[in-house]
Amino acid sequence: MRNFKTTALLLTVPASLVAIGLYAAPILQVLALSLTEPKFGLANYQSLFANAAVGRVVMTTLKVSVMTTVLTVLASYIVAFAIIHMSAGWRRISLFLVLVPFWISVLVRAFSWITILRRRGVLNSALMEMGVISTPLDLVYNLFGVTIGMIHYMMPFAILLLYANLSDIDRRIMQAARSLGARPATIFWRVWLPLSLPGIALATLFVFVFSLGFLVTPALLGAGKTLMIAEYISVQISSTSRWDLATSLSTMLLLVVGIIVFAAMRSPALRAAFVARPQQ
Amino acid sequence: MTISHFAKDAAEIALEKFNRGEIDRRSFLIALGGLGLAAAFKPGVARADASEIVVCNWGGAAADAFAKAYGDPFTKKSGMKVVIDGAGPAVGTIRAMVESGKVIWDATDGGMIDSLTLGKGNLVEKIDYTIVDKSQVPENFAGEFGVSNYVYSNVLAYDADATKGAAPTGWADFFDTAKFPGKRTMCKWIQGQLEFVLMADGVAPADLYPLDVDRAFKKLKPMLADIIFWEGGAQTQQLFREGEVVMGNIWHTRANLLNKETPDKFKWIWEQNILSASAWSVPKGNPAGKKVFDFINSTLDPAGQLVLLQIMGNGPSNPKTLALMTPADALVNPTTKENAASQIMLNPAYYAEHETELQNKYLDFISS
Repeated sequence: MRNFKTTALLLTVPASLVAIGLYAAPILQVLALSLTEPKFGLANYQSLFANAAVGRVVMTTLKVSVMTTVLTVLASYIVAFAIIHMSAGWRRISLFLVLVPFWISVLVRAFSWITILRRRGVLNSALMEMGVISTPLDLVYNLFGVTIGMIHYMMPFAILLLYANLSDIDRRIMQAARSLGARPATIFWRVWLPLSLPGIALATLFVFVFSLGFLVTPALLGAGKTLMIAEYISVQISSTSRWDLATSLSTMLLLVVGIIVFAAMRSPALRAAFVARPQQ
Repeated sequence: MTISHFAKDAAEIALEKFNRGEIDRRSFLIALGGLGLAAAFKPGVARADASEIVVCNWGGAAADAFAKAYGDPFTKKSGMKVVIDGAGPAVGTIRAMVESGKVIWDATDGGMIDSLTLGKGNLVEKIDYTIVDKSQVPENFAGEFGVSNYVYSNVLAYDADATKGAAPTGWADFFDTAKFPGKRTMCKWIQGQLEFVLMADGVAPADLYPLDVDRAFKKLKPMLADIIFWEGGAQTQQLFREGEVVMGNIWHTRANLLNKETPDKFKWIWEQNILSASAWSVPKGNPAGKKVFDFINSTLDPAGQLVLLQIMGNGPSNPKTLALMTPADALVNPTTKENAASQIMLNPAYYAEHETELQNKYLDFISS
């Protein structure tokens, strides 16, 4: 047994080396640059907090991320909840449809949304032809378009996380609730929802952390007006050569995400999501 | 800009035309020769070698077309191979390369502004004007650290259908939504943006620099909701084609392409156009040494610059090219006398000093 454990541990060495070499080392390099560019010290972090423009970029990022997270988790919960109640055949088809967007590049998806949402796009044309609106709505190149694009990107992840959690819930509890006279709404609010909190917490954390780092979607669908952290960092690296700003902001983002994940992991709901369930 | 957004776009235009079969392989290669991109394309990372010239540009996608073309005039004349690395010579990349002592590029395709920034950082060689013939280009195109081989302009393009045939007469009309209702587009990269806003606000061309940023922002603020900001040339064509905007500040090369597509619909005016110049720079410690200047000198040749104009629309830096142009060429060229009548020149020295700060202020302004 001991031998087996040692072998298993050794087998993880190559992957760890790759991860350290290609992931951890460059991150440390970024961290180092943030402390040494242009000279050694914490000055970059001081100016980061004094920089009102960075503050606005952070606020935009938070606003978009929170909106994306709330709407994604809500919509995904509905879809996942519907899927677990389907027959096996429909469930397979539905899960397949959920997976389809995974195979389409984020760029293509952003451009598709532009085609749908632009002033003479599919949606505006349809609404105008039906007489619902008389002038086209501004659905893209703004915060609204960015949020739509991001929700679309994040939903498959959230649906799968919630689906895994929901399908693990023991259905006999619902039968018991029903036999004790609970109405469907009561069963949902007092049985389904509390039992699915770990899944909701996990999906929320995942979507939120992911949203903080979005680059392509806001850049394309926001057309310069919705500036989020990742795009700001990318401009500072390649366009303005403000490596001091870029590296210190990257490090802060990493730190904040680390703290969020660490804090979230201590919550009972997320602990439950990761703790192995007792065998039934 | 430390990324040459325009140079990148010019290469995209050539590739698109080549892919559509609008230009043949030979013209394509000659055009790229004018850009300094001819001769050979070796995919992958270029290796430093004193027997070849490694040129870094923004058009790496043209690998196939370059692969077999070893017959470039420069190679014929000098026997030296020219290798193209499409990695994109951003100032940051050049800096990293020079500081680590691993320079693999001999000549980089950037703007006049980049050459000044690089020169200030002591990252590039001085242009050797004992080899490069300074008299081929106007004085302000032959900088200490960069020499120009093409030029381009920011112009006011418009959708004549949307304006019901009325033509704008200057940048002031960009702001006149009563006369020309509809959305506008301008670039999210700062070069050539505040200049037009200030001219629209009545600032005389001679008084543009230093740019009065607050005045420009004040003028722009009420318009922000009606402006879509573009970041690449292809996008500007897209925005006009889809009817998303009726007017915009775009590169003359893209305005020309739009006009070729739909001559009666998409037009542009040369009034108050804003001219920028490219520049070759030579990273410090370049592998080919002095030989790179022979190559750079060959790109100032009028014949090559004319083909560049015909294929991609980039204006020549060598005024002698004007004499070779047909009337049709002259019509779309930013340095033609009539087109340049009310032209202003982007001030590279000002940008080398202030661009970073200005760009960040501008991004903050348009996103808040």
